[in-house]
Amino acid sequence: MSVFTWIILGLLVGSLGTYLLFSDRGRNPDHGALIGGIAGAVGSLVLLIPLWIYVYVQGKQPVYELPKDRPPLSGKHLTRMALYAFLILMMLVYLLPVYTVVVTSLKTPKEAGKLAKVWDLPTEINWKSYETALDELGPQLKNSFILTISATIISAVMGSMNGYVLAKWKFPGANIIFPLMLFGMFIPYQSILIPLFQFVQDIDLGGTIYGLIIAHVVYGLPITTLIFRNYYAEVPTEMLEAGAIDGAGFFGIYRWIVFPLSLPGFVVVIIWQFTQIWNEFLFAVTLTDQSSQPITVALALLAGGEAVNWNLPMAGAVLAALPTLVVYIVLGRYFIRGLLAGSVKG
Amino acid sequence: MQVSANRAGNPGRKLLRFTRRINPDRVYAILMILPSVILLAIFVYGFIGQTLWWSLTDWAGLEKNAEKNYIKLDNYKTLFSDITGMRFRQELVNTFFFTLFFVGGCLILGFILAVVLDQNVKGEGLFRTVFLFPMALSFAVTGTIWRWLLNPGGGINALPKMLGADAWNYRWINNRSPYTFNWHEVPLTTTLLIIAVLLFFIFRQIWRRKYLATIYLGVPMALLFLWMWSDWVSWDDTQAMHGTFNWQDVPRYVVAVIVIGFVLYMVSLLWHGKRRAALILGIPTAVVLLWYAAGGTDNFPNVEFPEAYGFNIALVGVIIAAVWQMSGYTMAMYLAGIRGVPEELREAARVDGCSEWQVYMRIVLPMLRPITLSAAIVLGHISLKIFDLIFAMAGIDHWPVSVPGVQVYYTMFRSNKFAVGSAIAIVLLIMVASVVIPYLITSLRAEHEL
Amino acid sequence: MASVTYRNVTKRWGDFAAVSNLSIEIPDGEFLVFVGPSGCGKSTSLRMLAGLEEITEGEILIGDRVVNNVAPKDRDIAMVFQSYALYPHMTVYDNMAFGLRLRRTPKQVIDERVREVAASLGIEMLLDRRPRQLSGGQRQRVAVGRAIVREPAVFLLDEPLSNLDAKLRVEARAFISKLHQRLGTTFIYVTHDQTEAMTMGQRIAVLRAGELMQIDTPSNLYEHPANIFVAGFIGSPAMNFFDNVLLTEEDGRMIVAADPYSLEVPEERYELYRPYLGKRVVFGIRPEDVHHPDYPPAGIIPAMGEANVDVVELMGNEKIVYLESEGKTILSRMDPRSDVRVGHRTGAVFNMANMHLFDPDTELALQ
Repeated sequence: MSVFTWIILGLLVGSLGTYLLFSDRGRNPDHGALIGGIAGAVGSLVLLIPLWIYVYVQGKQPVYELPKDRPPLSGKHLTRMALYAFLILMMLVYLLPVYTVVVTSLKTPKEAGKLAKVWDLPTEINWKSYETALDELGPQLKNSFILTISATIISAVMGSMNGYVLAKWKFPGANIIFPLMLFGMFIPYQSILIPLFQFVQDIDLGGTIYGLIIAHVVYGLPITTLIFRNYYAEVPTEMLEAGAIDGAGFFGIYRWIVFPLSLPGFVVVIIWQFTQIWNEFLFAVTLTDQSSQPITVALALLAGGEAVNWNLPMAGAVLAALPTLVVYIVLGRYFIRGLLAGSVKG
Repeated sequence: MQVSANRAGNPGRKLLRFTRRINPDRVYAILMILPSVILLAIFVYGFIGQTLWWSLTDWAGLEKNAEKNYIKLDNYKTLFSDITGMRFRQELVNTFFFTLFFVGGCLILGFILAVVLDQNVKGEGLFRTVFLFPMALSFAVTGTIWRWLLNPGGGINALPKMLGADAWNYRWINNRSPYTFNWHEVPLTTTLLIIAVLLFFIFRQIWRRKYLATIYLGVPMALLFLWMWSDWVSWDDTQAMHGTFNWQDVPRYVVAVIVIGFVLYMVSLLWHGKRRAALILGIPTAVVLLWYAAGGTDNFPNVEFPEAYGFNIALVGVIIAAVWQMSGYTMAMYLAGIRGVPEELREAARVDGCSEWQVYMRIVLPMLRPITLSAAIVLGHISLKIFDLIFAMAGIDHWPVSVPGVQVYYTMFRSNKFAVGSAIAIVLLIMVASVVIPYLITSLRAEHEL
Repeated sequence: MASVTYRNVTKRWGDFAAVSNLSIEIPDGEFLVFVGPSGCGKSTSLRMLAGLEEITEGEILIGDRVVNNVAPKDRDIAMVFQSYALYPHMTVYDNMAFGLRLRRTPKQVIDERVREVAASLGIEMLLDRRPRQLSGGQRQRVAVGRAIVREPAVFLLDEPLSNLDAKLRVEARAFISKLHQRLGTTFIYVTHDQTEAMTMGQRIAVLRAGELMQIDTPSNLYEHPANIFVAGFIGSPAMNFFDNVLLTEEDGRMIVAADPYSLEVPEERYELYRPYLGKRVVFGIRPEDVHHPDYPPAGIIPAMGEANVDVVELMGNEKIVYLESEGKTILSRMDPRSDVRVGHRTGAVFNMANMHLFDPDTELALQ
């Protein structure tokens, strides 16, 4: 029970932060952003920590179940050696970029400029790149957090409601509405970019992060709806009918039965949306200006200049990648489930 | 994407169907979903409609109240035939090759990794994590990293020096030359072999009545064949480049793709003994052919001079970066698919006398086909609309690796040609939709049939 | 406490009629069983009563109140589902208390009632567990407990035993029957299993393809099936039927010419069957009315026949013998001492006192 209370509390605090953010916009942006940011961060911590605990206590079902005694394709010693050799080689190839990024980011600008020596370890560790990167990208990092957390939560909650309605309630036109909603997930966003840009300008949110939040909430709806709908389709309807006979109405069934059952679904959706929104670029580069852009855009612009010290963008890349990487490493199982929910055909 | 759910228990049954009476719960249900529906209706369909309308006007510039005159399809004509549309045409070619190699590379690499990881490997979790982690990064980060790695003066090129060899001198994305591949210098059979393999799969798909898959396989095959054919036929000693195709041939290509598609379908119909249907289908095929023979395509707006396009070598770097990022995704999909094969099924096959290898080839692999299709669609639509990777790796005006997705942004926000940008965006939308809509329809229909 | 009335109730999905024109009156306190093969509309009938399906035509009354437009929660009913539908995220206690909490019952009352019901069902030690920690039988009791704790006027049970294994099912049958005796509430029970129906129901409603075939007490249903369907559905192993049988008269005796047998009809039925003389009918006889010649029970009206022995299943207290004659299989429940060997011929004694005749066109029993 306590877990649900925590999540509700987290949602409330998070939305309060967002509200403050919005209400203070224009008057004293720094002040409002600070309070909103702190509130949002606290809210998300309150939200994420119990979720994380919950995931570790409850989520013991691995995505890939491997029967222990299944014979391998080939049991021969030599073949297995070759197998491991191949895997280790591939692993090195995949990690190669990480190596350069970390190594380069720790070099001094002068040393990083020596292109021929990119693979050498730094002669001395130079943390300055990170300090500089944090100075330069700090505000954008904060923007990214505000954007990601608020858009993730809003789109997850709306997606959950849509999923509940579409999976468990019959109403005219549902079979048409759902594919039409889904299509919104696949469209190239370039094809709605100018109207969106105009719209955001028209409601006077051009060049701010709020327009970006709106865009991410709306265009995140199809995927969150899809994941929740498929998740709820697995909940036996008999259980909801039992709830109806026990005295719950439309909202009661959602509040007392569907929502508590959908926590793993929320974890999947939140992780998915978090990485997607954090990593998104096109909307970010179009709808924001320098003060409100998220870190992906700032990073690309930082690296895009011709004469750059490469240690700085590399440190920036680490900063920009860290949050999603942490999420991936800590909650990898759910990340994979989101991937699959977003992809495998039943 | 997972459009259909596998439902345990009571499939399809929904709650409390009060269809004839106003029921408060039903009103709540509609009210609950209404905001999302309205938002998506405006933000997706309303905005697409607006873009479509603007693509038919001569609107230039940021002034949103500026005069917008209806100019019919002129923007599209410009793109496909005017000299100023050259960059766009090159980008279409780039997109084609990028999609082909990116999707193919991810599928093949992901599949190999999945099969290898399925062999009771120790430390499987670690390997899986490593192969999948680039998925958690943004294309912007990937682009920045690989921009650095593909720097001609260092990065990958400097790697041989670690082993004591000379540094490479490959120019990666700064390379400006197209692929000068001479079909006359290699045995023609190589190409024919690829086409033969594709044909084999196409006929197999037809035999299994998988027409959607047939079309997905048949269209690239037809394009590949045409590319080779036109280059081979039109080649003469004075021509500098090979392995390119002439943009002026596009109408011919379109006709050929339509005819090949129809003929494939006719063959399948004949195969199943549906002669009348085949005959009916034969009529439009003949009409298209006759129309073409009579010079029907001559009046098509087309470029005035031969424009040769080929595969830009600079794309190789972008493809490597993209495959590095997304191959983990196909690996995860395939691995889940392989593990999803019920152990009982494998056991049954073993009891029936299959060796472990045969269990793989005959039981597991055939069950992965739907996964391949959906992975190809997801990757395909990502690659058709790709923007951020190229933006971060090469900026928006490095034409050798540019794609329409980038061009939209460039045209809109650098050149302020909103109308032309809209036209490109609509072309992009049509490309993506032609891949996604058939897939969406078939998956949702399959779900209803459950 | 309430009676239940179905008044010309019809349920249609598009053109398909799941239930057609069903009329039943269930007095207060009765244990009524809906039985029939899958797809016969028995579950739909129950779900319409529960308010989970809309009624297309007709009306359903609980007590004196028409409930067609009453939400499930306001119908004063409780239901036990086939899958039990326990809420997996709640403890047993919370599962049982859920309905009361939604009705804003005072906490103290809830606690008293839950504990009392739990004690009466022998599940008081499970109150802190979650459903997934329970065995099938325990889950079933919790599902029943969740229903009775609300003290509803009508109990609905939708195949509540089908997820239990054979041994538990026998126990649960007795448990539910006792529960009904103790509570004295109206029970409406849906099952496809005629054994459950026969052992538990005070009255049984047999449905087929949405139509009510017969509603009566178990013994009447068994002894006087109204039609071929009920005759074949009730009783296990099922009744033997001889199609295309001629009812004739020889020397003043009425004969059923059930090829290859000529069986004499008992005299007390002459009056009843006389109008059908010379017509084709369907003859039915239950396996327990086909005996071995060495062990005929007392008080039967015998008619002799002969057949090949195909299969013999020794059950301990009886032998189920598959007799074959002219391509027709006849089941017989014989005395366990009967000397029957597979492949040999044996005599068979038909107890004509329990014979059944049906009209082949209307499928109704001749009466």
